[in-house]
Amino acid sequence: MAPTENDIAIVGFAQTAPDRRTQLTEADLVLHATRAVIADVGIDKSEIGFTVSGSCDYLSGQAFSFVQNTDAYGMVPAINESHVEMDGAWALYEAYVRLLQGDIDVALAVGVGKNSNSDPSTLYTIEFDPYYLTPLGADTWSLAALQARALLDSGKATERDFADVVVRNRANAKSNPYAQVKGDYSADELLAADYVRNPLRLHDLPPTTDQAAAIILARGKRAYDLCERPAWITGIDHRIEPHLPTVRKDITTSVSTRLAAQGAGVGKGPIEVAEVHAPFGFQELIVTDALGLDASTDINPSGGALATHAVMVAGLIRMGEAANQITKNGKNRTLAHATSGPCLQQNLVCVLEGDQ
Amino acid sequence: MADTVQEFVFNLTFPFSRTLGSTLSTFASALAQGQIIGVRTGGRVIAPPLEYDPETAADAGTEWVRVGPKGTVSSWTWVPEPTNLHPLDHAFGFAFITLDGADTPMIHAVDAGSESAMSVGMRVEAKFKAPADCVGRIDDIIAFVPAADPSPSEGAGEPYDAPEENDITEMDAFCDLTYIDNASPTTTMWAKALMEGRLIGQKCPQCARTIVGPRGMCSVCAIELDESHVIDVPDRGVVSNFTVVTPVQYHGQTETEPFVRCSIMLDGADAVIAQQEILDIPANDVRVGMRVECVWAPASERSVADIDNRSRGSGGDAILGWRLTGEPDEPAELYLDRMM
Repeated sequence: MAPTENDIAIVGFAQTAPDRRTQLTEADLVLHATRAVIADVGIDKSEIGFTVSGSCDYLSGQAFSFVQNTDAYGMVPAINESHVEMDGAWALYEAYVRLLQGDIDVALAVGVGKNSNSDPSTLYTIEFDPYYLTPLGADTWSLAALQARALLDSGKATERDFADVVVRNRANAKSNPYAQVKGDYSADELLAADYVRNPLRLHDLPPTTDQAAAIILARGKRAYDLCERPAWITGIDHRIEPHLPTVRKDITTSVSTRLAAQGAGVGKGPIEVAEVHAPFGFQELIVTDALGLDASTDINPSGGALATHAVMVAGLIRMGEAANQITKNGKNRTLAHATSGPCLQQNLVCVLEGDQ
Repeated sequence: MADTVQEFVFNLTFPFSRTLGSTLSTFASALAQGQIIGVRTGGRVIAPPLEYDPETAADAGTEWVRVGPKGTVSSWTWVPEPTNLHPLDHAFGFAFITLDGADTPMIHAVDAGSESAMSVGMRVEAKFKAPADCVGRIDDIIAFVPAADPSPSEGAGEPYDAPEENDITEMDAFCDLTYIDNASPTTTMWAKALMEGRLIGQKCPQCARTIVGPRGMCSVCAIELDESHVIDVPDRGVVSNFTVVTPVQYHGQTETEPFVRCSIMLDGADAVIAQQEILDIPANDVRVGMRVECVWAPASERSVADIDNRSRGSGGDAILGWRLTGEPDEPAELYLDRMM
């Protein structure tokens, strides 16, 4: 494609080594990821026209941590900066929209999460409906398990299918230097484990990870200065569903993913590689179905969110991995998906294409 | 150093008093009387009720419907080890429960005794707290239990006449989360120096600024700083800013009288240390430009147990506060350009 000045590409991606328990602060992690991506594309930080991050104070338990994290950008003189209390994938979306204004040509999107400070079985209770769910301590594992059982009951999947998703992602993760959980497993050995939340076992749950990731976007011809083969964003869309999973018509499907995929133009051509953000393994089945993908697409060659799952980062890493397939691995059309909220409440879909 | 904390546990607790609005007030007021209700909107009964139709965003209206107290499980899971936030202290289920008279399920606990008792299609009924203990919150229902009699609930699906005025219009809730953070290398360096009665900073090799308390990076140049960049800084400086706090007795506030908190620019440093206490003078006598020096706790009484990654530049219990040196005030132009 011949890019116009309104076309925007991912030109650089970096992530810190994932850690189950880092000694570093979120600001340290942001510094490392940001410096790495700036070095990757070979610019000076002063060339970045807009910086936006995704993080959540409740994860590390530090009020205004997102403000302290901005130390890592070097803000003298003052920079144009923003923050979303969401996965970095939504920070990237804001950066994309900001670039469309046309007055700047380079933007930085960051995601960071020191997840190990908090307990995932209690923390997310405050993310949910404060009247009907929080007083019950309704936890993210239980809500995912309720969705999983509904999927089993629908006849669309079995517990062995759930295990197979994990087996494949962990095997894929072996070739990912940034994977925290990887290796060869059999479905039989996984299915022998106890339930954490019936029908989900420990391997079905997202790993706990401390990590940061950063992506640099560039607009128009500027992208070629920074990257030999930019990953052009040819479609990006995100949709959200009601916050109470119980008022969605069918929790075994993902209407928001399907609509976002339509909005991003997924069906306009074949997808060679898709990086799907499924925190709970079985959710990959729901998402790939909603995306309309079939066996011709390579799903999660990185090992996906089961390989590392820093909340606030895992979605942005999907964008980076899908971009790497174009910038470094010769693929022509790839897809990145990110999710947020209980039971796949909100979903973002991005289609990336390389010049042919 | 044994006195330097490597890991610290802290609880994040604070109360909410949430106003409920008309729909949730109606639900809460009925619930406190032992009646669960839903709202009929868009051709279906949503229970518990919402203010809007989630399909269309239209006002859901006030066509209240009696639902339950029995219902049918449409999905379930099992919590073998409850957390402190869960409603039961023994193993229990969470379930989607479609109450009799409702079209959408609600999420609640099921006290079924054992996992093997759970199934899709099982009939359950609400078990309420004693009437005097009901406050109109969703956990007035302790849990659902297997229904002794699976027959349909009496009166379910019939209209519910809400009173003109609701008894309950607010809800108390409490956030109670536990975190375990660990000291970053930079925090550990700072805490160790405090125990030795020293203040340290990190000098950036690129811009030559000295950052105090250390952050492990230069926040101007955005480069990493480590142990090799550490320098001792004087324990005296100038009050560069202050505020007098009149304490409001919110949850967790232990102060009762107005107190001062200062930013102090140490001599030779380029970043203030904040939230410092001035000793021996009334809060209202503090002014910008005052020369101050650190008052250290006796070495045997120093503690850095409160120093964590969140308290950058804090002296913990190693520093008692700051006192006037008696020198003349320092003119603002001497420290303005260094502030950040």
